[in-house]
Amino acid sequence: MNGIPFLLGLLVLAYLGSILVGGRAIRGFGLASGAEYLVLGFVLGPQVLSVVGRSLVDNFQPVVLVGVSWLGLVLGVSYLRVGERRVPLPHIVLGVALSALVSACVTATVYFGASQFSPLPRTEVIALAATAGIVCSETTRHSVRWVVERYGAKGPLADLAADTARASALFSLLALAVVSAWLPGAALPAISVLERVLVSLGLGVVLGFTAALLLGREFRRDESWGILLGTSLLGTGAAARLNLSPISATFAMGLTLALVSRHRIDIKAMVTPTEKPVLLPVVLLAGAYVNVKLPIPLLVLVAVALVSKIVARVACGGLLSITAKPVRGVGLEFGGSMLSAGALGLAVALAFGLRHPGVVADTVLLLAAVSVLVGEWLGPASLRRALSRAGEIKPETPASEPQPTLPSEA
Amino acid sequence: MSGHGGPKKTIATRAIQAASLLVTFGVLYGVTRVTPELESHLGTVAAVGFLLLAGTLMSELLETIGLPHLSGYLLAGIIGGPHVLHLVDHHTVQELSPVNTLALSLIALAGGAELRLDTLRSVARGLAWATLIQSAFVLVCVAGVFLAIASYIPFTHGLNSKALIGVALLWGVLAVSRSPSACMGILSQTRAKGPVATFSLAFIMLSDVVVVILLATMIMLARPLITASGGISLEDFTVLGHEILASIAVGVTLGLGLAVYLRLVGRQLLLVLLAIGFGLSDTFSYIHVDSLLAFLSAGFVVTNLSDQGPKLLHSIEQTGSVVFVVFFATAGAHLDIPLLRQLWPVAIALCASRAFFTVVAGRISSRLAEDPAVLKRWGWSSLVSQAGLALGLSVVIAKAFPSFGEGFRSLAIAAVAINEMVGPILFKFALDRAGETDRHEPEVRPSLPDAPAAP
Repeated sequence: MNGIPFLLGLLVLAYLGSILVGGRAIRGFGLASGAEYLVLGFVLGPQVLSVVGRSLVDNFQPVVLVGVSWLGLVLGVSYLRVGERRVPLPHIVLGVALSALVSACVTATVYFGASQFSPLPRTEVIALAATAGIVCSETTRHSVRWVVERYGAKGPLADLAADTARASALFSLLALAVVSAWLPGAALPAISVLERVLVSLGLGVVLGFTAALLLGREFRRDESWGILLGTSLLGTGAAARLNLSPISATFAMGLTLALVSRHRIDIKAMVTPTEKPVLLPVVLLAGAYVNVKLPIPLLVLVAVALVSKIVARVACGGLLSITAKPVRGVGLEFGGSMLSAGALGLAVALAFGLRHPGVVADTVLLLAAVSVLVGEWLGPASLRRALSRAGEIKPETPASEPQPTLPSEA
Repeated sequence: MSGHGGPKKTIATRAIQAASLLVTFGVLYGVTRVTPELESHLGTVAAVGFLLLAGTLMSELLETIGLPHLSGYLLAGIIGGPHVLHLVDHHTVQELSPVNTLALSLIALAGGAELRLDTLRSVARGLAWATLIQSAFVLVCVAGVFLAIASYIPFTHGLNSKALIGVALLWGVLAVSRSPSACMGILSQTRAKGPVATFSLAFIMLSDVVVVILLATMIMLARPLITASGGISLEDFTVLGHEILASIAVGVTLGLGLAVYLRLVGRQLLLVLLAIGFGLSDTFSYIHVDSLLAFLSAGFVVTNLSDQGPKLLHSIEQTGSVVFVVFFATAGAHLDIPLLRQLWPVAIALCASRAFFTVVAGRISSRLAEDPAVLKRWGWSSLVSQAGLALGLSVVIAKAFPSFGEGFRSLAIAAVAINEMVGPILFKFALDRAGETDRHEPEVRPSLPDAPAAP
């Protein structure tokens, strides 16, 4: 297959994605994480049917780079709000802390396992452990949205789930910025890792400020697209050339816009509907990139990381049931609901693969893909149980139609 | 491309734009100095962002001295391109060719959709005379100038007089090619309405077909003059006839399909236009269909056989607001400045004579067609611009006549560079003076209010 039919296929997926966010589609349609597209990409990719060959997939690297970076921008722009509601600061802190805790558990486990049982050199072991931790630290907000919209859930537990899921992105993307700056091959070798992290985030902040200033007082939608696209692509490309983390840079840019631009609501309304159309092709490409033909020790490490993540999440849920009022009595279910993984984990793995290609990146991407599948199996069901037990879903009446006034994203 | 008319921008706004432009250049300048060599094609992403942002900002700043946005895009590309600051290298410019494909398809679609039958009828007489005079008179006169200054043109040295006439005729064909993209770019920015805008659009779109036929004719006539063994063959015309008919047939089918889609679905037009631009251009090239003509026909069908023209034009305008900036900025980066520096005296002489004869031909055809006064005065103004089409023709000529082809192409590149920079300025100036530029304010609104904080 050559590039043009594949590109057309991706555009068809994007078309599908744009219909899914449109008003005519049933909210909660499809799988929460978009795992079906991941599996489709895997089946079409070089590992199974080879409809899409390795070299073709590699040619689409810029598409992947732009896709994951745009996702970073969308996450940044919408980080502080769930629909029309601002996310309270304690919920952000809680979400970040939970992510950090899970990430630390997974990192420690993988580091120990890889040091003992894998033939990887020390630098690669650290890179693998750190990135595995980052990938496992995400809870996808799409899963929460899916359950909330499908079952019409409403209440403090639903809000907490949505807020902590959203907040988890901050830890993932900051940690990825650190790992990218630390890995060998980063530009600016004369400066420290911390300074390189500041460069990647600073790039996003400067371009975010620039975009906010250029958008000015009045809001012109057509001009705004040029400015937003221009600044985000410049930031993405500059960070990629410096071998830093483009997705972290665009996240910083989006967050800066969300904080300083007077048009933050307009910008969010503009970019949020683009998320699904960008996401589906990226998830499909992620599926095509997945490589299962890894050495046995690395496959075992993927399984170990996954078990570690499940244990850490459930433990976090237990901890929350003691400390957080809305989670009281549903700690284990809530912990299970946080297993849902999706776009961000895959985007982190893809970004890491672009930055540091090789067997470690393949392992991380496999872990992200398996996390999505396992999360799809356990996460939404657990959240639904938690919400039912907390009385935020009426068990006998699952919502058959979406609430027309619900925002387009959670 | 943003609209021309808008609320007056304050000095503070201009200062912010200038500072942002410096930041844009500074970011990429810093990055390219830290990582001068780029092994992967990931650098293309930065280049697209840079060209989009720098082009937009440069056009806004040049607007203050009355220059068209298109000149700003070109200038941003020239400064950032491989011959000045080298922020965008040759390889990246080549990698951006899909953007050019997309832009050209959108330009042709929009061009066709702008051509309404009733307005065409109103300028039909002028159009017929202009096509005849502009093609024949300019071709012959510019060929004459070429012959007159041939001794200063390096690649013609050693050619006998018959061959020289053949080369001059080929240069004449190049001289009658115009730039649909520049015309659409200026019309899109100024949102001009009136006789000059209507005539320019119709003439340039029609001249695209005429010039393709002229080129085939001249290659056929020039071959026996240039190569001793060459003879006149009508086979080229058969192939060309098939190509033109096939292009129109495919374009009509596409247009009908688009009209049905717009009527029945009418959503996600950005993605549909992307799919058409990328996917169909490639397919058309594969089946030897002229993309420009096919898309032109498609746009024409949508406008004239359905009521979906305005919807299509609006979607193209939205998509094009980003794509056209990158397209023209890439064209700026592509301009071969060292070559222009080398050939500028000859190139300027040829460009000046072309512009002069274009004005004269415009006056003659307007008089014969009894055009309105404004058209007599400014009807020629859009015909000076040249861009991708002229360069494409020069490639065809270079391939057909390898003995002098490279030299011919180099001179064509230099001449097109001048016309590409000067032409849009002239056209915008003419539209302003003719009073056809739309000076209404574009739609702006205050920002949406913030929602209250969650308790």
